[in-house]
Amino acid sequence: MTKSLVRVAGLKKYYQMGGTVVRALDGIDLEIKPGTFTVVMGPSGSGKSTLLYLLGGLDRGTSGEIWVDGQSLNDMDENSLALFRRRSMGFVFQSFNLIPSMTALQNVAFPMQFAGVTSARREMQARNLLAQVGLEDRAEHRPTELSGGQQQRVAIARALVNDPDLILADEPTGNLDTASGAAIMQLLSDLHLAGKTVLVVSHDPRMTRFATDKIFLLDGRVVSEEEYQSASLGTMDL
Amino acid sequence: MKFFDLLRLIFGNLNRRKGRVALTAIGVVIGTAAVVILVSLAIGLQMNANEQLYGIGDLTQIQVSPTYGEGPVVVGPGGGGGGGGGAPPQQKLLTNLALEEIRAIPGVEWVVPREFLMAGGMVKYQRLEGWANIIGVDVDDLALLGLEATQGSTALGRGVVVMGPMIANNFYDPRQRPGQEPPPPPDLYDQQIQMIVSKWDAQGNETRKNISLRVSGVLKEARGESDWTIYMPLDQVKALNEWAMNRRINYNKDGYSMAVVKVANVDQVLDVADQITQLGYQAYTPQSFVQGINNFYVILQVIFGGVGAIALLVAAIGIANTMAMSILERTREIGLMKAVGATNRDVLAIFLGEASGIGFLGGLGGVLIGWLAGQAINVIAIVYLAGQANQQGGPPPSVAVYTPLWLPVFALVFSTLIGMISGLYPALRAATMIPVMALKYE
Repeated sequence: MTKSLVRVAGLKKYYQMGGTVVRALDGIDLEIKPGTFTVVMGPSGSGKSTLLYLLGGLDRGTSGEIWVDGQSLNDMDENSLALFRRRSMGFVFQSFNLIPSMTALQNVAFPMQFAGVTSARREMQARNLLAQVGLEDRAEHRPTELSGGQQQRVAIARALVNDPDLILADEPTGNLDTASGAAIMQLLSDLHLAGKTVLVVSHDPRMTRFATDKIFLLDGRVVSEEEYQSASLGTMDL
Repeated sequence: MKFFDLLRLIFGNLNRRKGRVALTAIGVVIGTAAVVILVSLAIGLQMNANEQLYGIGDLTQIQVSPTYGEGPVVVGPGGGGGGGGGAPPQQKLLTNLALEEIRAIPGVEWVVPREFLMAGGMVKYQRLEGWANIIGVDVDDLALLGLEATQGSTALGRGVVVMGPMIANNFYDPRQRPGQEPPPPPDLYDQQIQMIVSKWDAQGNETRKNISLRVSGVLKEARGESDWTIYMPLDQVKALNEWAMNRRINYNKDGYSMAVVKVANVDQVLDVADQITQLGYQAYTPQSFVQGINNFYVILQVIFGGVGAIALLVAAIGIANTMAMSILERTREIGLMKAVGATNRDVLAIFLGEASGIGFLGGLGGVLIGWLAGQAINVIAIVYLAGQANQQGGPPPSVAVYTPLWLPVFALVFSTLIGMISGLYPALRAATMIPVMALKYE
């Protein structure tokens, strides 16, 4: 049995919202093996985005443990978490989060500045990655001059820039039309086939087509596919 | 993060918000310009005051006089016998031994005794009469005392005198009739003048003595005692004084009436003067006077600088405000920076850098405007002050506003620092944002 890349045990995340406590995650246990394509499915409010941010070290859980590559995220201070995100995580967001004043090339190269890469190497690597996502001719364009699908491809190139162990994508197709969304899914699948470990959070069932592993979330808990299907039957238009 | 990358990122960020950065920086420009102009003005005033000080002379010289004790005069070898500190004023005469004692103080370059002619000071040139301060000094050449000649030389010798440039103005015609034009000041260089010394006996009968002397040098104007003085060798003055007093003078016993002490470095002058005072002599240095005036102007500079600093304070609040707004607008960008691996220190450095950058740019503009305005004031004020000086007499000022090099450098560093301090709170807030909160911020 291969060693797991990510292991989560008893993870809880509670928010105080107004007077009530929101149980975004209520005791999660899971494992992610290297080289897998995991899709986390769940309706909005199921806590799937919260899970992704906790795995990526962007937030801390209320209780429970996360190990990535054998390291416990609970033991890391702010600075170590930043270094962990820099070295091990690549994020893709629903709203792309590109910096509007920068060109596509600059956006892709941006994370390497914090890693202290020289500017010549930054540019070379950013160009290579843009070529990999099929946007080499769009390198000097600003995000406003790109379509949604193109922007998300720039964001994926940016996520790859520090050669992360895990790519975390939060609803990467959520802001895209069907065709662009499919292209992005294909791109993520290609990355997986090239050996990357990918975790995608989505409520789009088409995503599961590429998945090697599926995790279903309901009300902050991991449930089986059957439970998930029967629970969501009532809400889904079939 | 590499420093150069950081710098480029900071200026890129400032560049994309040109209008707001410019508006914020204008506050800093005004504050810095005010500091530069006002402090330059205070410094200019100080320089003017120092220039106008009359009779200051060489600031590295100390004039030492003996202390004549009260009560019966007890004269002993070495003068006064050493006396302990804290004792009531004791007699301390400037004997040759005393001069050695002063010479031994560290920092003292030389000690030269001098003596006034105590038998009058009337001088005659042809039919003109005049008056002068006649001093004997124990040097061969007045150049040692820091004096320079405009005509002839500063060397002293038998039968010749070196005189100050104002002496000639003192000559008048004793037989001048009312309404007659006074004669112009004579050019005395290389001329024979008559010095008249006189003494009185117990019955009040005057004895006069005429000495013929050649003027071998005229000194450059020093705006001090030397302008009104005729210098002679010390032994000649001593002989005349002995003649006038009808007794021998023994410098080992009676001491000199004054000595000039030259200190190597102007910073040591007050210290050396203190030590001489502690030995029991009277020390006078213009430095203590100048020090008082300088202290006043330093206070003036601080007050003027403070007025400018108030403008900078207002500008600082402007920077803090702009940065706080900017951080709100860029919350998601901060979240992204953190997601891609920026540490809290990176984020802090970026935002502190942007705030400092606004301070620096404003400071640059302020220094430039302040300096230009100073030059403009100079041109106007010098014309005006020169007019004033013509009416009141005295030399015209050469400078009204003076900007020393340290001031713009200081102002630039200070405005940058102000920017940095103003940015501290917003930058800390940005640095400590929880990444997921920042990313979700709408």
